[in-house]
Amino acid sequence: MELLKREEWQGFVRDVDWTLTYVDDEAAYPEWHCGTGKVPREAWASWEESYKVSYPEYVATQREKEASAYAVKAALQRSSTFEHLDEGWKSATKMHFGGVALVEYAAVLGELKMARFGLSAAWRNMATFGQLDELRHAQITTFFGHEFVGKDAQYDWTLKTFHTNDWVPISLRNLFDGMIIAPNVVDLAIELPLTFETGFTNLQFVALAADALGAGDVNFANMISSIQTDEARHSQQGGPTLEILVEHDPVRAQWVIDKSFWGSARAFAALTGPAMDYYTPLEHRKQSYREFMEEWIIDQFIRTIEDYGLKKPWFWDEFMRGLDTWHHGLHMGLWYWRPTLWWRPKAGVSKDERAWLVEKYPNWETVYGDKWDVLIDNVNADNMEATLPETLPWLCSTCHLPCCNATQSRDGTWRVRNWQLNYDGRTYHFCTNACRQIFWKDRDNVNHETLIDRFLAGQIQPMDVGGILGYMGLTPDVMGDDPDYSAWTREYVGRPVEGIAVGGRS
Amino acid sequence: MSAALPVEDQAPQLVPLNAIFATDFVEILVPVTTASTMREVADAVAHHVEGRRVRARPHPKVVIHRGERLAPELTVAEAGLRPLDHVTVEYDIDPRGRS
Repeated sequence: MELLKREEWQGFVRDVDWTLTYVDDEAAYPEWHCGTGKVPREAWASWEESYKVSYPEYVATQREKEASAYAVKAALQRSSTFEHLDEGWKSATKMHFGGVALVEYAAVLGELKMARFGLSAAWRNMATFGQLDELRHAQITTFFGHEFVGKDAQYDWTLKTFHTNDWVPISLRNLFDGMIIAPNVVDLAIELPLTFETGFTNLQFVALAADALGAGDVNFANMISSIQTDEARHSQQGGPTLEILVEHDPVRAQWVIDKSFWGSARAFAALTGPAMDYYTPLEHRKQSYREFMEEWIIDQFIRTIEDYGLKKPWFWDEFMRGLDTWHHGLHMGLWYWRPTLWWRPKAGVSKDERAWLVEKYPNWETVYGDKWDVLIDNVNADNMEATLPETLPWLCSTCHLPCCNATQSRDGTWRVRNWQLNYDGRTYHFCTNACRQIFWKDRDNVNHETLIDRFLAGQIQPMDVGGILGYMGLTPDVMGDDPDYSAWTREYVGRPVEGIAVGGRS
Repeated sequence: MSAALPVEDQAPQLVPLNAIFATDFVEILVPVTTASTMREVADAVAHHVEGRRVRARPHPKVVIHRGERLAPELTVAEAGLRPLDHVTVEYDIDPRGRS
């Protein structure tokens, strides 16, 4: 029997919707999951993915990808590559493994939800492949990280991170619960595949694979590339969904994109920013975080949303100004609260590194250099106690990251300003104006307590640094510390010093 | 009932504040009590930052709340500071002399 040509059967198998007669449509596709809102039910029939794939094709391709990724891994396992990797790069990978492995699993749940409740059979079909992708990503990321557990206990946080109440996973759970677990599938398709995957991770993974090769970590590059090729396909669920939503409800489309872009940008500033501008060895840096964001994320994002007839988000100016400050403040926070991390954050502020930072961020010395100088002088005075925290940074009630974003006044001074909101009998604090605005618009969906909320409610006992570290799941063998203090302080030994703390007190 | 007593006679209550010290890079949690004076509040905030990240300067410090400078001898209760309020602690010098 002669087989049908692909184009003869593809349209038939990708659209298997039929008219339900035994149950009401609402019973099978409840609004709270399907989220059609102002979009007429029949409009979803026009949903069409731009890249079509059949199940046999999918399986054949994925099998090849898996075989290739694991073959490279097996070959490299016998080499001593890992032992020669820079500590900064290792930290970037620990952060990645812990921060990403179980987010991939959350994405499985998101894809499954779209595979069940998407209002087009073609969409449900794509999401079925998407959930298989995400399951593979959760597995490959966990497995690749697991290999190093025997060599370095911090890699144990590949799987452990999201099972703890460390402040980083609390922030990420808040972001991804809001983006993946809570929303209906229409909002989900715009938040995850469109904004986060098409807008951020797909392109970041291309750059990250290149960085991994630059750092000599072929294994990591291999893993990331294997994942990225899946992302490029399943992230296309966002486009057709947005196209239909924009036609019927552009206000909602704009809000969902704006909110998820902001949340993604905050998380990227915390994790990708320090990795690019501080952890990556100077000689391997191809571009600054700001340059990366401008070239890979921003231009492409703006083009995409304008193609769909949407506007730049309302917070655009605040976001662009933040490219010069957010990740520098967050890096200093990660470093100062380093015992709360499952990686070893490099300070990365030697003279050459500072010259590079100033070249890329002309205000860097003015806003951050003075504080690093005091830290350097404390390290050189062997006053380590002064470089370690005795309280918590205040965490933003929207992004759950420290409130550490300096802005410039008209008189030229740089200060961290307080963004406050009194609502329902209590006071909330935010890191930025947009985080405050998003909280207000989304307040009925907010249900995560920040670490500050938990501490003040007495959930963390004893109420001291030891109690906080224990609550976060940190053990002495894992707690982060600077891998090489001398690397960034020795050039300053012997300079005149005044105004530093003595025995922890000034 | 202590609530019926004048402020100065009540048992001190914990007042967690959102605070920032001068040019520091981050807001921090600083617990004080209703009986703490503004001088003590300034010291409590400075303890976490001064000489650690912000170079110590030989000037007195002032607590600023909602744009108002609070007198050093005022207590938290007298100043009307509430739990979760934001305060700024600055060196008490001419703003043009700020670093």
